[in-house]
Amino acid sequence: MTEAILFSLFSFSAVVFAFNVIFRKNPVHCALHLVGVLLSLSGMFVLLNAQFIAAIQILIYAGAIMVLFLFVVMLLNVRGEVPLLTPGAAKGFGFFFALIAFVEVLWVVVTHGGAEGTPQPPAPLPPGFGSPAEIGRILYTTWLFPFEVTSILLLIAVIGAVVLAKRKFA
Amino acid sequence: MDAAFLIESAVKVLIVLGFVLLGVPLIVWMERKVIGHMQDRIGPQRVGPFGLLQTIADGIKLFFKEDIIPAQADRVVFILAPALSVITAFVALTVVPFGDTITVAGRTVYLHITDVNVAILWVLGTTSMGVYGIVLGGWASNSKYPLLGGLRSSAQMISYELAQGISLVSVILMTGTLSLASIVRQQEHMWFIVPQFFAFVIYILCGIAETNRAPFDLPEAETELVAGFHTEFSSMKFALYFLAEYANMMVVSAIAISVFFGGWRGPFLPPVVWFLIKLSLFLFFYVWLRATFPRLRYDQLMAFGWKVLLPASLLNLTVTAVVVALQNNP
Amino acid sequence: MQTSGMPLEAYQLVAALLFTIGLIGVLVRRSALIIFMSIELMLNAVNLSFVAFSKHHGQMDGQIFVFFVMSVAAAEVAVGLAILVAIFRNRETANVDDVHLLKG
Repeated sequence: MTEAILFSLFSFSAVVFAFNVIFRKNPVHCALHLVGVLLSLSGMFVLLNAQFIAAIQILIYAGAIMVLFLFVVMLLNVRGEVPLLTPGAAKGFGFFFALIAFVEVLWVVVTHGGAEGTPQPPAPLPPGFGSPAEIGRILYTTWLFPFEVTSILLLIAVIGAVVLAKRKFA
Repeated sequence: MDAAFLIESAVKVLIVLGFVLLGVPLIVWMERKVIGHMQDRIGPQRVGPFGLLQTIADGIKLFFKEDIIPAQADRVVFILAPALSVITAFVALTVVPFGDTITVAGRTVYLHITDVNVAILWVLGTTSMGVYGIVLGGWASNSKYPLLGGLRSSAQMISYELAQGISLVSVILMTGTLSLASIVRQQEHMWFIVPQFFAFVIYILCGIAETNRAPFDLPEAETELVAGFHTEFSSMKFALYFLAEYANMMVVSAIAISVFFGGWRGPFLPPVVWFLIKLSLFLFFYVWLRATFPRLRYDQLMAFGWKVLLPASLLNLTVTAVVVALQNNP
Repeated sequence: MQTSGMPLEAYQLVAALLFTIGLIGVLVRRSALIIFMSIELMLNAVNLSFVAFSKHHGQMDGQIFVFFVMSVAAAEVAVGLAILVAIFRNRETANVDDVHLLKG
């Protein structure tokens, strides 16, 4: 019962914030609404027994990535563009295509993946599900190789960002 | 999720809220008195006994000031920014254990609002969210000095967040848990300050930089940037920023106490009293630093954070990891 | 922990909705920054879907994947915003319609 209330609250706020992200003129407002989406999703992660992921979402996504976004928005000082949406028929095509994608995903969800998926009852959760200890255990044993590759990827991203954003002293 | 649990949580939240709202005027009074005496003068002494009501008088004065919003400012964000600062400061206190357990009406009540198994990540996350209050305050003012102050302050805060987190990870390696209540419980025989002294030093330096306190308070220095990001804020919004700064000081001190100094542990007195004693000592240390050291220049500050504290915390982490690994697999 | 919760389809519906909203944002807005934010929205919708499936099947692998998605998103945002800043420095505009020099 509490889960239903919290789920409705978080999902409603996430969708409202998401609509505001794409339909606002001021980029700073869009960024703030995206932070709202991230916080709502963090709440939903807690409902889904993913405590570590919820905390990481706040710490990294809302606390670091969006701050970077805000910095760039303020640095570039981009005013809202006029007109707001892409002009002409491309706008209609965009909405239509998105609607088609939504209907497709909805169909997959409702029919449980077509012939292959069979509706299964939720599996029982092992103790410590979603806790940092479990994540650490799996991350450093089963998923060790992707973890190391991700660290190299992040190093590349750091170097790339520094090189790209440096002013060339001609 | 029964009614008793809800009532218990609500009472705990109200108590912590009241504690912070009453504690901040006391901290401000202590700061003014202590800095006064360190500067060979008396400090507030006329309003109430020993000047204790001075902060209340200042609060009432701030409340009655005119609330000005600049014409070109972004209204919604302008009003939101101080609220964000205050909210993140208060929310970080929900996982701090103020004491052990007490028995009320037959129920065992733990003296923390909640004990999540990711408590340290929660605290780090909410202090990261505290950056928004500052950067948005600077932006929404639509004015040069606040913008510069806000950007500098937030750049400083995100630079020192890394070293702060990594120094806490060194302790987590030793405890094996992220929950603050468990960390305090594990310090029965030895406080973690003893094996992790360097982590504590790094953490407290980062904490001072995070809360924009002297000697790291260039972004809100009056002589350099008017008043930094809170230039254009008046009346209650300024009071909220003020409140948020001191509440953040309390958060940093509370985490340092819980992680390094045994939390509420101590010989004879009840646990809550020990916690308050340690908290007061930490806050006195904050004020002492402010009275003693000159301000760091901004480039010195950033160089210190990136080039000194971050490698030091990583080195500490490596050494701790090696020692813990050798202990587990000799 | 509770054994009965919201059905899986509810979470998937919300994730699909968020994904579609992000998709609309990418296709319809002209400012490069907003397009970036819409991409982040799509990534978050996918995260929600992963975590919901992870709980449904009782396996942690979904959450590990979310961990990786977040790291990759961080890297992508860093590099993408750096590119955006470089373009903006040259062209003084963040409108993707104006960056068409390679068009035939």
